[in-house]
Amino acid sequence: MQDVHKNRSRVFVVGLSFVFLLFLYRIGTLQLVDDKYEKRAINNALNKITLYPARSVIYDRFGKIIAKNAASYDLFIFPKEEKVDNRLFIQQILQIDSNQYNKLLTEAWINSKKRQKNNAYNRSAIFYSNLNQQQYTALRENLYRLSGFYIEPRTDRAYEIFGGAHAFGYLGEASEQLLKEDPYYQPGDLVGITGIERYYEEFMRGTKGIKTVWQDRTYKQRGEVQDQAFNYPAKSGPDFYATIDIELQKFAEELFNGKRGSVVAIEPSTGEVLAFLNKPDYNPNDLVGQDRARSFRKMLIDPKKPLYNRAVKGVYPPGSTVKTVLALIGLQEGIIHPGSTKGCGGGYRMGNIVVGCHPHGGPLDVVGSIRISCNSYYCGLFREIIDHPKYGSTHNGYRVLERYWRSFGLGDPTGIDLLGESSGNVPTVERLAKRHGKKWRSSMVISLGIGQGEILLTPLQLANVAAILANRGYYIPPHLLKKVNGLKNNGLKEEYRTKKIIPIDAKHFETVIEGMSQVMKPGGTANGIGINGIEICGKTGTAQNPHGKDHSLFIAFAPRNNPKIAIGVIVENGGFGATYAAPIASLMIEKYLMRDTASSKQFMIDRLKSTVLEPQ
Amino acid sequence: MKYQYSSSDNNKMDIWGVFFYILLVAIGFINIFSVTSDVNQTSLVLSDIAYKQLFFIGGAIVIILTLSFANVVLIDYLSYYVYAIVILLNIAVLFIGKEVGGAKSWFGFGGFGIQPSEFLKLATSMALAKFLGGYGMRFSGWRNVTYSIGIFLFPVILILLQNDTGSALVYFSFFLVLYREGMPGYIIILAFWMGLLTILSIVFQGLEISSYYLVGTILGVGSIAVYFARKSRQWVVLITFIAVSSAVFSTIVGIVYDKVFQWYQKDRIEIVLGLKEDKQGMGYNLDQSKVAIGAGRFIGRGFQNGTQTKMGFVPEQHTDFIFCTIGEEWGFVGVIVFFSAFLGLLIRLIQLSERQSDAYGRILGYSVCCILFFHWFVNIGMTIGLIPVIGIPLPFVSAGGSSLWGFTLLLFTFLRYDQVRRN
Ligand SMILES: [Zn+2]
Repeated sequence: MQDVHKNRSRVFVVGLSFVFLLFLYRIGTLQLVDDKYEKRAINNALNKITLYPARSVIYDRFGKIIAKNAASYDLFIFPKEEKVDNRLFIQQILQIDSNQYNKLLTEAWINSKKRQKNNAYNRSAIFYSNLNQQQYTALRENLYRLSGFYIEPRTDRAYEIFGGAHAFGYLGEASEQLLKEDPYYQPGDLVGITGIERYYEEFMRGTKGIKTVWQDRTYKQRGEVQDQAFNYPAKSGPDFYATIDIELQKFAEELFNGKRGSVVAIEPSTGEVLAFLNKPDYNPNDLVGQDRARSFRKMLIDPKKPLYNRAVKGVYPPGSTVKTVLALIGLQEGIIHPGSTKGCGGGYRMGNIVVGCHPHGGPLDVVGSIRISCNSYYCGLFREIIDHPKYGSTHNGYRVLERYWRSFGLGDPTGIDLLGESSGNVPTVERLAKRHGKKWRSSMVISLGIGQGEILLTPLQLANVAAILANRGYYIPPHLLKKVNGLKNNGLKEEYRTKKIIPIDAKHFETVIEGMSQVMKPGGTANGIGINGIEICGKTGTAQNPHGKDHSLFIAFAPRNNPKIAIGVIVENGGFGATYAAPIASLMIEKYLMRDTASSKQFMIDRLKSTVLEPQ
Repeated sequence: MKYQYSSSDNNKMDIWGVFFYILLVAIGFINIFSVTSDVNQTSLVLSDIAYKQLFFIGGAIVIILTLSFANVVLIDYLSYYVYAIVILLNIAVLFIGKEVGGAKSWFGFGGFGIQPSEFLKLATSMALAKFLGGYGMRFSGWRNVTYSIGIFLFPVILILLQNDTGSALVYFSFFLVLYREGMPGYIIILAFWMGLLTILSIVFQGLEISSYYLVGTILGVGSIAVYFARKSRQWVVLITFIAVSSAVFSTIVGIVYDKVFQWYQKDRIEIVLGLKEDKQGMGYNLDQSKVAIGAGRFIGRGFQNGTQTKMGFVPEQHTDFIFCTIGEEWGFVGVIVFFSAFLGLLIRLIQLSERQSDAYGRILGYSVCCILFFHWFVNIGMTIGLIPVIGIPLPFVSAGGSSLWGFTLLLFTFLRYDQVRRN
């Protein structure tokens, strides 16, 4: 039989070849155009498990451990793999109800999508953070049947010594904003929120490591990826030595029992902060682990404001403590000389304005005026300075004065390694004009001469003034970092290694310091509060407080020659400077300088510890 | 006498056919071995599935050896009997078979199962060859056409009853055989046109556009064509007929699609047509399968390195989706090698068919070629997302005994026939 359709075999060959080429083209578009599928395949099969580094261990200046790390465990979930059957079991272990469970699950869904930018597909998310020991044990034993869940270890803080809470700061979960700004962080990560934990976060956190495991479609781990390029260990944060002397710090906290206020002590020659105290404060161990969020919310609404860092954020009128500064300015400007005397008839009178003074004997020179803290002397000096004809006008004279004040670090942040430091307030001519009218005269702002009125300082600035006096004319910005081994310059910024010079001659300091020395001696405002064998130079201050009882202030340094410690104390509503602030300063100086000897003023310690100005 | 040896047994089995067969089976085994091996494995330890495949390959060799002793006369002579017996087996499986993955198409023997429908392809090919290859038979006349089509549509009904839609589709490849045997070419064109209309109707349904627009467009284009062809009455009638019947057809398709198909079936179809994107549900397999192939790039990710397939992101990675492993681990180069082997086999089958001394051999050869092509087309088209996910194996390459033995039987029955009866 004749095969009439033989030529159709050619149609077959051509047709089949065409289809093969068509498919080949399609496969080419998948394989050869770009590497997006390759990347997706890699992301699919690899689960990068974060290895959390230990944070820097924090030591005090003498090497005592303050904060270390404790293992904590977070429960993670692959939301897609979660099984309804397991819900009840998990709810029982975590002691949550089904509503809370659903809420956590919804959050995890959302977060698991967010994480995609780091690890494009199939990501898990934190479900429940900071499991307690019981929860951890119960979950770990049953993990094999809890589809979609796994536990990731990380580190949290554990405090060995409760002290200096506001200096060291606390940790908290990374905020939404931080997560957006810094891809290093993932939801649930603990970051420094305040204190040096926040300021030095970048190296204290260490460096996360990665362990890469094979992961199948159901997110089961199928062994570690052997290639070393996919695995690197976590690097702990380097040991952090703070400048704080924790023993001094604890001592100060005890003395401050039942009082409100702040103490900052500085090593004058270095700017290292020896003690940094706020009261009321909190126990840093309340802000770790599972209770973190709950405690934190409680503290936030606590009317005592335990989280408030008044040492750098609180502003107070410095009162008589800044008479020392005014005397120095007067001397440097040649408006007075050490022997210049002024009389005082129980107060300073200008027309119908009277600035009162306490009763004291005869005309005083500079040294005497500091010893006695004569208001008339400084009201007079203030006017003499700013009204001095050599400046052309009162306002110009005030500008000169303001420049000096600012050179003492007043009216500007000191630059301590904490965030949110207040500038305090040193008013400008313009500020004063707003308050007192464009043509304000010296008589209207006379209270600035005695540290009242518009001038406001933070406790830190106050302590820094003491350090400047101790140094006879310079300071290094106060800081809390002593050293981090292995970092350049021990991790210290340029500013913390550079002296800031005050444009006042050293000889003028000696005059003022003589006055400060006499403050602690018979006839001085803090007579009897000194320590035998230590020459303390101090200056009391009593700041009027429109809201209540006067604040008790004191600045001091010791020993007089080659000072080792400078200190500023504010006890809110403590009354006279000599009542609370001065004894606290004295005792702290004694503690710091003669640490291992029993105090010569145990009665003073006992009195302070037991005096409760306000219930805590 | 009709049944006699036209050549001696001195002929060898076609060397190219055997070569491509060995190449494809080897490609299959290497990829099955790779995809089922342990994660992180570098040593050559065989998985259970790879061991089983070795056993199946051994079985396939037994089949080939047995066939090489077969009396070719019997192949021709027994065609109808084989067809009848296999049809009966496929009816029996409906009652005493066991269900695997929703398809009641398996006879179970301990740990192994056998799918009688795999042998129905050969039986159908033989019966069709016997019928059409009869002396003086021509593919014309209603009776012949109906019988021919009936021979391969009856199995389709049985396989549909076994719930194995994928395998049923394969029988449409016999239309290609009919084309070779003289079926008018316009039927193929008509089939294409109906396919196009079907897809368009589904697209309109999927996009929720009223089918009036499609019907309107068809009739509009028809009217314009009628206007240009208005001088010839014949053309006017023809165009009017085509336009009206097309409009009716697409309307019916639209209604059938809307009413008859289940939502998940619609999902599958609409995902393939690109009307729906669903990376988590239905489209997940399709998406992951494309990722696997795309990840291979030019030279592939390497033997045993195809994480997409090995880690189970691609479903049924050693059976229906085995091509993903080829694409992922061997890349574009591997795909070209595999395609060349497969196309090589198909073209060789056409050459062999064309050199047959009788119509029986030719039709059997074309049937084998078209069945293999259709399997390849549906299987690869599925993995690269050109056609809906329909589970049918890739001949010689997918893991599994029934499939390998069925295709081996299919191919080597023809190769044996060719060995003896070629010109
Ligand atoms: Zn006086």
